[in-house]
Amino acid sequence: MSVIQTQELAVGYGGRTVVGDINLEALKGQFICLLGPNGSGKSTIIRTLSGLLRPLGGCVYLKGEHLNAIEPRELAKTMAVVLTERLSPGLIKVFDLVAMGRYPYTDFFGRLTGKDREKTREALGLVDAGRLADRYFNELSDGEKQKVLMARALVQEPEVLILDEPTSHLDLKHRLEVMAILRRLTQEKGITVILSLHEVDMALKSCELVILVKDGKILASGAPEEILSDERVAELYDIDCANFSNCLGGIELRNGGGAGVFVLAGGGSGALVYRLLNKQGFSLSTGVISENDIDYHVGRALGATVISEKPFEEISKSALNRAVFAGAQAAYILDAGFPLGTQNRRNLDLVKQILAQGRTIYSLRHPREARFLFGEDQDQWVFCPTTGVLLSNLKREEGRRQSKKAATSAAAAMG
Amino acid sequence: MVQRGLSGFSRKMRRNPSYLLSLFGLLLVISLVLSITLGSVSIPLKDLCQVLFGQGNHAVDKTVILDIRLPRALAAVFGGAALAVSGLLLQIFFRNPIVDPYVLGVSSGATLVVALLMLTGFSLGMGSVSPFLVTLAALIGALAVVALVMAIAQRVKSAVTLLVIGLMIGYLCSAVVNILMTFAEKENLHNFILWTLGSFSGFDWGEVEILAPAGGVLLAAAYLLSKPLNALLLGEDYAQSMGVNIKKLRISTVLISSALTALVTAFAGPVAFIGLASPHLARLILGTSDNKILIPASILLGATVTALCDLLARISFSPIELPISAITSLLGAPIVISLLMKRRTSL
Repeated sequence: MSVIQTQELAVGYGGRTVVGDINLEALKGQFICLLGPNGSGKSTIIRTLSGLLRPLGGCVYLKGEHLNAIEPRELAKTMAVVLTERLSPGLIKVFDLVAMGRYPYTDFFGRLTGKDREKTREALGLVDAGRLADRYFNELSDGEKQKVLMARALVQEPEVLILDEPTSHLDLKHRLEVMAILRRLTQEKGITVILSLHEVDMALKSCELVILVKDGKILASGAPEEILSDERVAELYDIDCANFSNCLGGIELRNGGGAGVFVLAGGGSGALVYRLLNKQGFSLSTGVISENDIDYHVGRALGATVISEKPFEEISKSALNRAVFAGAQAAYILDAGFPLGTQNRRNLDLVKQILAQGRTIYSLRHPREARFLFGEDQDQWVFCPTTGVLLSNLKREEGRRQSKKAATSAAAAMG
Repeated sequence: MVQRGLSGFSRKMRRNPSYLLSLFGLLLVISLVLSITLGSVSIPLKDLCQVLFGQGNHAVDKTVILDIRLPRALAAVFGGAALAVSGLLLQIFFRNPIVDPYVLGVSSGATLVVALLMLTGFSLGMGSVSPFLVTLAALIGALAVVALVMAIAQRVKSAVTLLVIGLMIGYLCSAVVNILMTFAEKENLHNFILWTLGSFSGFDWGEVEILAPAGGVLLAAAYLLSKPLNALLLGEDYAQSMGVNIKKLRISTVLISSALTALVTAFAGPVAFIGLASPHLARLILGTSDNKILIPASILLGATVTALCDLLARISFSPIELPISAITSLLGAPIVISLLMKRRTSL
């Protein structure tokens, strides 16, 4: 049964439509997220759905009834909100603030009954904030405040909970906690949760249904796994400096343009090294990696040239050749210390061909292991016990290379 | 925990506001008694009791008590209570701790009309301006501004806009008053300035009989608003989401607070500081923003402080009376500052 439904809804302020043509349906116990860049109109939709703002066109139905026709007190018993506005309610203790949510239930003077107190304690417990009851609200941290405001909304005993950017200003721990609490509410209490977010990864990982809002319209809606494709996220946020990876559930900043590094990787050995080098501005190529490897996804998300092989297939000759070529193009060769097995044993040939070209290999592998795998001759190897050492070696070499380049071009100019 | 360095006893009291409220009540009674007994003619407590209960034979004392000091003390009590609650309502309404009852321009309107009366030729041929006329003029000015503010309050969307408009009305009135003052005669000017500093002197029963019931009704009305006003502590959006009719609340808050201020200003002139500081005193001493407690506490504290300040204004340089606004500010500001400094949480 649909709890909230909108029909041709247009939202905005004073005649100016911010988002139009909104047709949504929220079912009981659903966890729904409005996703979009800042200024896309998420908050305007949220305010309209919660009845704080009148629709400019179309309408919102709450359990089949016209939202703006519902008596405010009755509405408050069905729907509660958590807003982004920063509160400074004065000298008020957490328990009393949460108890204010009993407003639609209490008598003319707002006196609390035993049941009201019971509900207040229960709500504080639900958000794991029972121990804050006697503190002044103003003394709390942002994360604690957010949980208390959620408790305040919960004592209204709503069937629908609407939250505007509940995770902004929060640290990671509280962000996760808030989302976990909300998910629990949908599952255990059957509350329909509608919230706006701007973090794609949080939406992907917690919501049942996402609604993408951009440029005054609904871009798409559906299960995040289905509609949050890498391209669509890039479109949603106009991202061109980073890549979103659906299966990693996160965003990687793209970089590149610096000196090329070819990373011998695989089996997850490359992921961290890629990120490290990417941050330092190196442009990456890597191989040969199986397409079911985490290194493949991270590398792709970072915008690296990934020379890959089909999942569970042995490395083909053509892939090997492409990798050798990419290695020859790169200024530096780096061995991330990948594990060598039957499927990727051609990487051994790759290393040997690179060595045959007289290249130096910077390696994160233990020298003994390298000797065992690639032979006794270790003149061409630079072993780095940590990524820090690796980085400083690369940087030193890069500085030398740059000055040499400058000298050559100066000589050429003089000649 | 909140106010370090306080004894356990007072901490226990803070947990139970009804103790503190009765203490405030007791203080109010004491200050009333002091107001009546002290002065150029000192009246022993015993005589006071006898006069009040109609015993003994104290003709002079009876006149002093019943015709001069009691109406004046009651006026100070009701005036102080009215200003305190008016200030409290506006502080909640505008969610701004430095708002006072005059912020919407009510006293400026009163001052303007009083200035027109006292500083221009309107009173020519009447000798001196009668106090009744001044009261009437102040009431007309105050109510005119209340009507104006109410008309605006129904139109503007945000409370802050209303606040700024109120300030602008105040500036407009002051501008005209300043022009009038420039061309005024010296003696008129002196009287006018004394009026603008406020005074409860010369209150008679006729005035108290208007001030007390009207003030009482408005104070009760303010108390009836305490539930929605509490919800308003969380801001208009949250209040609305909990079922508060914001428009109705806005109109009634502005109306009650303006009417309270208009009432006091008409009879006593603009009395500074009480309306700003009493709500703060109540909040800081009780450690709460709950209006069910704050409204009665502000009434009692506003009344007590005003009665005591009026007493000081009367007796400290007797027979010369000091303007009450000078006393309220001089005594009150240091108290509020020291309470604020002791507190960790902001208001």
